Amino acid sequence: MKLTDRVIKLREQSLNAVETISAERALLVTEFYKSDMAREVSVPVRRARAFEYILRNKKLCINEGELIVGERGPAPKATPTYPEISLHSLDDLEILDKRDKVSFKVSKEVKDIYEKEIIPYWRGKSNRDKIMEAMTPAWKKAYKAGVFTEFQEQRAPGHTVLGYKLFSTGFLDLKKEIEESIQDLDFYRDRYAYDKAEELKAMDIACDAIIMYANRNADELEKMASESTDEKRRTELKEMARICRKVPAHAPGTFHEMLQHYWFVHLGVVTELNPWDSFNPGRLDQHLLPVYTRDKTEGELTEERAYELLGCFWVKFNNHPSPPKMGVTAQESNTYTDFCLINLGGVKPDGTDAVNDITYMLLDLIGEMRILQPSSMVQVSKKSPDKFIYKALDIIKTGFGQPSCFNTDAIIQELIQQGKSIVDARNGGASGCVETGAFGTESYWLTGYFNLAKILEITLYDGIDPRTGETVGLPTGNPEDFKNFDDLFRAFRQQLEYFASTKIRGNNVIERIFAGNLPAPFLSLLIEDCIAKGRDYNDGGARYNTTYIQGVGLGTITDMLSSIRYNIYDKKKYTWKQVIDAMTNDFEGYDQLQYDLVYNSPKYGNDDDYADQHAVMVFEAFYDAVNGHRTPRGGIHRINMLPTTSHVYFGSVIGATPDGRRAYVPLSEGISPFQGVDRLGPTAVIKSASKIDHLRTGGTLLNQKFSPRFFEDEDSYQKLTALIRSYFKMDGHHVQFNVVDADTLRNAQKHPELYRDLIVRVAGYSDYFNDLGMDLQNEIIRRTEHESL
Amino acid sequence: MKGLIFNIKRYAIHDGPGIRVTFFMKGCPLGCWWCHNPEGISKDVQEVERVDRIGDKEFTVNEKVGKYYTEAELLDIAKKDMVFIEESGGGVTFSGGEPLVQDDFLSEALKLFRNEGIHTVVDTSGYARRSVIDKILPLTDLFLFDIKHLDPAKHKKFTGVSNDLILANYKHILEKGKKVIIRIPLIPGFNDDEGQLNALRDFVAGRQGTNIERVDLLPYHRIGSSKYRKFKLEYRMQNIEQPSARRMNEVKDFFAASGVNVKIGG
Repeated sequence: MKLTDRVIKLREQSLNAVETISAERALLVTEFYKSDMAREVSVPVRRARAFEYILRNKKLCINEGELIVGERGPAPKATPTYPEISLHSLDDLEILDKRDKVSFKVSKEVKDIYEKEIIPYWRGKSNRDKIMEAMTPAWKKAYKAGVFTEFQEQRAPGHTVLGYKLFSTGFLDLKKEIEESIQDLDFYRDRYAYDKAEELKAMDIACDAIIMYANRNADELEKMASESTDEKRRTELKEMARICRKVPAHAPGTFHEMLQHYWFVHLGVVTELNPWDSFNPGRLDQHLLPVYTRDKTEGELTEERAYELLGCFWVKFNNHPSPPKMGVTAQESNTYTDFCLINLGGVKPDGTDAVNDITYMLLDLIGEMRILQPSSMVQVSKKSPDKFIYKALDIIKTGFGQPSCFNTDAIIQELIQQGKSIVDARNGGASGCVETGAFGTESYWLTGYFNLAKILEITLYDGIDPRTGETVGLPTGNPEDFKNFDDLFRAFRQQLEYFASTKIRGNNVIERIFAGNLPAPFLSLLIEDCIAKGRDYNDGGARYNTTYIQGVGLGTITDMLSSIRYNIYDKKKYTWKQVIDAMTNDFEGYDQLQYDLVYNSPKYGNDDDYADQHAVMVFEAFYDAVNGHRTPRGGIHRINMLPTTSHVYFGSVIGATPDGRRAYVPLSEGISPFQGVDRLGPTAVIKSASKIDHLRTGGTLLNQKFSPRFFEDEDSYQKLTALIRSYFKMDGHHVQFNVVDADTLRNAQKHPELYRDLIVRVAGYSDYFNDLGMDLQNEIIRRTEHESL
Repeated sequence: MKGLIFNIKRYAIHDGPGIRVTFFMKGCPLGCWWCHNPEGISKDVQEVERVDRIGDKEFTVNEKVGKYYTEAELLDIAKKDMVFIEESGGGVTFSGGEPLVQDDFLSEALKLFRNEGIHTVVDTSGYARRSVIDKILPLTDLFLFDIKHLDPAKHKKFTGVSNDLILANYKHILEKGKKVIIRIPLIPGFNDDEGQLNALRDFVAGRQGTNIERVDLLPYHRIGSSKYRKFKLEYRMQNIEQPSARRMNEVKDFFAASGVNVKIGG
């Protein structure tokens, strides 16, 4: 299918819009907190009123020609800030304005507002301040050393996805549910009944707020219709006004209503707080199919019209860059992408293949739109037809980096393993980068990247961080005194457990800070069973609650351990002293030693059990240290293995390592091998990556870069499909393909102006090549060269 | 038994159906000017110098080209990729060099793979004694068979041997009902003139309906040229350009017009 002129124009508008900081939300939320409305009420009610205040007073934005309305800011890509969560300083704003990558323009006016209104009110009072004040010295030392990051420092918990319920439910229906839940409260026995009543009251206010906001849009659309001289547009505007009067108050009835309904829900979530990974319609092809089929049969909708509406819908995501991050948080995930990962395919609640007409229509759209947001993925189950995978490969081969490929059968087993029902599991998928979730029913918090390689480095220096000379870990002994490899691994395990428990302690405190200080009554409306339980999404209201810590650097730490076992203990080629001296000197003057570490030592990614056993050992140790620890909201700590861009940051805090890696260069990414060390091709990489138990994680990330020649004909499609299916047979969770050649990338580095549209797969998401830091660009070029040899 | 192998490639996707493991065997009786695997010519282990780099630093190391494996060791290696082989309908391929040079080892290895139910392909120049062919034939599921030139004199000049034996073996294999994919390396100045293309086209088209599965046109490329220096061999194709994609498509269409199932590349 072809994009219509309307969609082409909207796409251009979106591509040309410049990312700016808007002070509107900050100003409104500050006004609200200063006003009487915010005083002497419970926290959930205050938050709901703040939400209502913003939606009542924010400027409306209806773009020329669009059919789906609603912007988070006053204009496309005008990005709000959330001072109650984390407060930008004037310096921060200056950096955002001036930085080369992922910049947000900040006007003088915005800076003035910040200086005069926002900063004076919020200084020292943001949620981030509360978090930092509550963290222990041990936590702070580890955080500063780069042992872990903290997701909730600048953004609210998110990583959740809408289920089908909200596609068939209006907010007036939710108000009824709230009323029933209030009536069911047991003030006689339940000591939390009053808190629940306040939470439910807040949810009710949030319902009214989103309906009010839709009506404001309807008013504006009617006004525009009466002023329009273009007959065709006038009819459209009137129809859009009708829709905004109907949804989200009532359940959507038509295809167009459904998209607008979701979009209001989306705006509500990203206005209330700045949750990680924004929000996500999830299994869009499943949700839309019934109404699409009915509208089409009744002659209300053509395929072309549906495609145009989806194009209009797509552009809305691209108009909403991720809220700007600062400092370490920006380094761990610096991108405009806000990780709305649209899931396609998979299985139906009864377990049968779910690929349908909308699936293919959306794949067409993804291939034609070629915009950064939303992200997309295909859920491949053993029941998926090859045609579905071929269609995805058609897009992947263009070098767009999307869609990525997920194993539905593994996702379902992961979810069931965590105690979800089989139907909730089948309705699930992946969000963000690769994170497994039960859609519409789970509150899953990612809490921070965890630097496995750094912990081994600290172990090699007896608890000291060699970069700063500070003691950050435990005194586990000088490696020269370790009689064998087991001694070393025991020491590593001690350090790992120490840092994991430090992180978990912090998580448990931060969870309470959010529950007490920043409940999310609007988000709570969307995720079952918050209304039934009368509890907030941030306080255990969801049916399932999970808290993740994300392990990073598996390839690097595996190579470090393999090299130590091989060179020091097994072959006795080098002594501890020689290796540590070489590391301390970043291999200057140790050429031969470095050569042996790089070229003559076993490496992860080559299907070599000698090396890969260490990946399994590290995985199991990490799993044991984290998995199963309860959280205050009734959640359970679990692990996943994904880096976003943190492997670059984490590498920048680690000196030279025993695998021959130079100081401060990036670590391996996800569960992929370290750059360039896999010498036996993709089947060997996949075999190595399959040796860890994916089913006990909440997601792993494997990146495979291919040159375009791997996609040249039907025959190569068949082979790639077999490659994917084989990985999934071995329970692999996810694989993504980057298709580029090194010369293109090098040219893009030299002439960024000519490659503004070049999108590459980074790590769990795609990004504009130009927006990547030089080091990440170089890494991708190096990998590409390696692949195409 | 042991066989001398100079390379083992996993995810080999151009050496027969599905995802394969390809064993490159040392030793070849031919000396094709365009050979892109000159390390496969000698039937002995060779020592060469290799330069590895870390950043700007260069490390010159001695490398042994060729390593002896038992057939059981080859099976173990292939089994590592069994999941891919089964999922894709792949198998193993013996290439070279000329795999028929080590015919005793080859037949032992093929037997072993056959017993394991693994699909076997032999990628050959067809230059071998009839008794060797007959030994290998029942153990091979598919032959990748090179047809380089139909004129014996020209064939001898550019490959070192005449094509008489090759063409006779070719006919024999087809008569025995074996499946064959014909591979024609398209070499500028050697076999890409109109006369020879006509002859090749007629040669393969005349055999349609037999067990010829496909004709693969392999464009000449220079990727192997740097290896010649390493192995102290003379590269005689210095000034030959690689055929363009357009030219390859022209030739492909020319074959396809006669009803030949033809493909560029393997």
